[in-house]
Amino acid sequence: MSRLKRRTALALSMTAGLALVAAGCGGGDDESAGLPADQETVAGDGTGSPPAGGDGVRLGILGQCEGPFGGFHEDVVGGATLAMTQFAGATPGSSTTALDGFTGAEVAGTPIELVGIGCGDDTADRILQEVRRLVEQLGANVIIGPLSGDEGIAIAEYAKANPELTVLAGISGSQEQTLQVQAPNYFRFYGDGAIWNAGLGDLLHNQEGWDTVAVIADDYSFGHTSAAGFIADFCAVGGEVTSRVFPPLGTTDYSSYIAQLPNPDEVDGYFWAVGGTGTQASLEAFVNAKGDLTGDQHAGNLFFNPGLAQALGPDIAGAYVGGFATLPGDVQTPEIENYLAAADETWETIPGALSGNEPAPPSVAAAFGFFYGYYTAGVALVEALDAVGGDMSDLDAFHEAISGLTLDLPYGDISLDENRSGVVDVGLSRLVLDESGEVVQETVAIVPGVDQTFGGTFSPDTPSPGRDFPACEERDLPWEGNAIPVVDGVPQS
Amino acid sequence: MAPVVQVSAVTVAFGGLRALRGIDLDIAQGERVAVIGPNGAGKTTLFNVIAGDITPTTGAVVIKGQDCTYRPSRQRPRLGLARTYQKARAFAGLTVRENIYLALAGHSGRHRALWQSRADRGMRAEAAEVAARTWLSGQIDVVAGELAHGQRRQLELAMAIATRPDVMLLDEPASGLSRGERERLIELLESFDDQLTLLLIEHDMDVAFRIAQRVVVMADGEQVMAGTPEQVRADPHVHRIYLGTEAAA
Amino acid sequence: MNLRERLTGETLALAGLVLILVLLPSLATAFFVNFVMTQTLILGLAAATIVFLAKYGGMTSLAQLLMFGIAGFMFGNAALDGGARGLNLGWHPWAAVGFAILVTTLAAFLLGAIASRTTGIYFLMLTLVYGVIGYFVFAQIVEISGPGGITSIQRPDLLGPPVRLYYAGLLLSVVVYAGFRTIRRTAFGLALQGVRDDPIRMASLGFNVPLHRTLAFTLAGFVAGLAGLLNVWWNGQIDPASISIGPTLILLIIAVIGGISSLEGAWLGAFVYVLVFTYLRDLPFVDRIGITEARFNTVIGVIVLAIMVLSPEGLTGIVQRLRGRLRRRAATEPTASTGGSLPVHTTTQKELGGTRS
Repeated sequence: MSRLKRRTALALSMTAGLALVAAGCGGGDDESAGLPADQETVAGDGTGSPPAGGDGVRLGILGQCEGPFGGFHEDVVGGATLAMTQFAGATPGSSTTALDGFTGAEVAGTPIELVGIGCGDDTADRILQEVRRLVEQLGANVIIGPLSGDEGIAIAEYAKANPELTVLAGISGSQEQTLQVQAPNYFRFYGDGAIWNAGLGDLLHNQEGWDTVAVIADDYSFGHTSAAGFIADFCAVGGEVTSRVFPPLGTTDYSSYIAQLPNPDEVDGYFWAVGGTGTQASLEAFVNAKGDLTGDQHAGNLFFNPGLAQALGPDIAGAYVGGFATLPGDVQTPEIENYLAAADETWETIPGALSGNEPAPPSVAAAFGFFYGYYTAGVALVEALDAVGGDMSDLDAFHEAISGLTLDLPYGDISLDENRSGVVDVGLSRLVLDESGEVVQETVAIVPGVDQTFGGTFSPDTPSPGRDFPACEERDLPWEGNAIPVVDGVPQS
Repeated sequence: MAPVVQVSAVTVAFGGLRALRGIDLDIAQGERVAVIGPNGAGKTTLFNVIAGDITPTTGAVVIKGQDCTYRPSRQRPRLGLARTYQKARAFAGLTVRENIYLALAGHSGRHRALWQSRADRGMRAEAAEVAARTWLSGQIDVVAGELAHGQRRQLELAMAIATRPDVMLLDEPASGLSRGERERLIELLESFDDQLTLLLIEHDMDVAFRIAQRVVVMADGEQVMAGTPEQVRADPHVHRIYLGTEAAA
Repeated sequence: MNLRERLTGETLALAGLVLILVLLPSLATAFFVNFVMTQTLILGLAAATIVFLAKYGGMTSLAQLLMFGIAGFMFGNAALDGGARGLNLGWHPWAAVGFAILVTTLAAFLLGAIASRTTGIYFLMLTLVYGVIGYFVFAQIVEISGPGGITSIQRPDLLGPPVRLYYAGLLLSVVVYAGFRTIRRTAFGLALQGVRDDPIRMASLGFNVPLHRTLAFTLAGFVAGLAGLLNVWWNGQIDPASISIGPTLILLIIAVIGGISSLEGAWLGAFVYVLVFTYLRDLPFVDRIGITEARFNTVIGVIVLAIMVLSPEGLTGIVQRLRGRLRRRAATEPTASTGGSLPVHTTTQKELGGTRS
């Protein structure tokens, strides 16, 4: 009728044309053309991915190239890649970055092809789109990742809905991804956010004599989970949590939250699970409000590190620190040395997060939990393939093989519990002064065989860790009193 | 008989500026009243008060016996009142037909129908008839934003007469029109039903004096005088403050 | 309208497009249909509500993604049964659909009523505030948002296979597109355009302008809610980050890419957005010039900037201009254009029409 309408008509036909063009180049695989999309699960219907076992492992890695953990993209891809170069004969795609992937990986005659690296931004929506791209477009049948907590829940749900897929979680720390979702094809070869503080309560109560503690943690899932691990442990051995304070994530002025904490003479100590820039800011607010900082009276999760001394001074020395997948650098066993050396042989440098994304020896990244979590997933994949003789045609058998693995890894053995979550060794450490008066991190104990239930505190029927959960209750912990002391970097077992 | 429009002691102040200072105006049914006066006299403010676009600071507006002082403008059409604006305010994105249709729909109360019914078709047909009366048949499907100035004034008028109002307020209907167009306009205004009450602001004395039975002269927010066209034309005071300047302009 | 009028080039092209889209699942890969096109249809639907409000009502709303999110959260709360997240009301899925749409529509009505007396930049800012407050409401009140989002959301059995979700998106898109086009000519739609052009004039014609704006906002919220339902069915989860400021702006950007005054543009913009996010990294050497996944937002930003400079009417505007140029080259005869009776000038028109202003 009108000119305007004809123009819109053209616009629409252009759209249609574009749609067709894109459809043509969309799938890539020739055999996918003409196949109907009417399938419940895409991974196994042959449209995108070859049948499991036919062409081997088509691996996708889920990292985060944007968002708060964007800096760890290089680290996590490096972790998975190192497992491939070390145990599957792979060649890295570049000597200065892990993001170029690897080629030539093969286990028991079964090739492992890296089909893509997903780029998350710390949101569940985005990681779902990325995993769907890897699986449904690029045909991945094994996924290593994701990185963070909410992503883990989303990916575990996705795995549950797509049983043909195999997911080996990266370093995502939420409890629910294994404890509640319980996808039979989702495996986590490391601990959750609560596990890393296991044994800390035992140590502080029974060794340091703390009976009462105040907890301050970020008011979001990781803060809740990290604090939950400490509370479960501290209360189980008979301690008492007298107050819990939860400042919102991203708080800059912590004074009002510090004011809610009891004074140093009212409690035996404080546990901090405040991350990012908040760690230092909250401790500084504590000094301002409560006078001095006495390191002996404080403990923190993985965010406590020697770098805090730059602003807070040596008073922070004495504080205990929870673990995070690896151990501080003072522990040097032959296995750890081999592992770090293998990383340095794989690449000349990689720009990991610990070096500010500037080129640095790969062992710098490899010694930290993000890299190591993805490494454990890669090793699990290799060993599971080996266990089934490279034959993935029987997925149930393959998944059973993964479930039954006990990985002999540089920072301790890892096996899986019945929910396919890691039973791990947790390294506890302390900030101490070395001979030159510098604050350094020193490993004090290794707590072996920690699982995510904390002796029943957490179960599929309990809510997610929150401001009020878990309650403070005494109970038996399998690892109570089993901590292996570490003296001068040598475990005394 | 009670006046159709009754304006009593209305003042309007915009901050410190007093646009109207105690205006009284009664208009009987079927009366044709012209309001004249220099720019800034408060003519359009008076219109806005009657039409409800402005709430008076003090005073009262009664239309057909109902106190409308504080009623919003949207309740005026129901009382049979329609107006035009000095600067044509047709809906630029809609066609002539749709503009007139909206005037009809606004009056009929059919505001929110999400489908087209027989009533809509009737109003569209009626819109075409109204357009014909205002010489807009040829532009019936032209978007109002593309009309020439004179055509926009015609559309303004069309939207006012479409609802067959009892009271019509016309704000300078002849401004910017050519001589021929003015003749057409006067012809149209003279063709209105005797019962229609007409209040118009007009700079064009030719139009004003031919249409009006009564002329109200305003200056500085006040009524200076009122009377028949002949009386006003003869008044030396009016000559000095208004007609004189007009002649000079 | 008679049949001949209805069989315009546009409707034919539209019918052709719909036909292609109906046949698409047997032409394209499952990924393209179930991921790219389904997401395009969902985002297109949501963006279309922005276009509807902007084009017909003159209201540029940043609250549409909030409506989209409210519907998703409400469905998740109502439909889930057991588990640690949300209210777990455990209702029948279709009851949950009704509940979600009802809550979304009510919220849209209330928020629309509050915003109904603002226009232009103030309306934009107020709806931005809605978006931000909405995000914080869901982020802080963890009882209705998780904590950490509502996961494991299943779609109703009727929409089980992914391709059915695609068809649901297609059906809704066609209905909404046709609906918005039809509304344009109804009393409600014409009045809405009148409100856009001159609210004071509309009031003097007897219309309740704030109520009209409120109802338009409510209608847009209702449609955005439908899109939000499709989204949680497609995505399986929703969390507060899903409705944070980033995605809120992206929905506006989708509308701008397509052309904020063109309904078709909503879907076109969504298509371009999804294509860039899905396929840009597959282009050979694109990472060699620095366009990695982490820079997609930069790419989208550059696209938006280029479009704003080259064609404020968005991609639809560019297409229209190209077409206009082609036609001018092809045809020497004057274009048959608006209003068939225009060339037939009468004397009265000449007399009354051509005045100096």
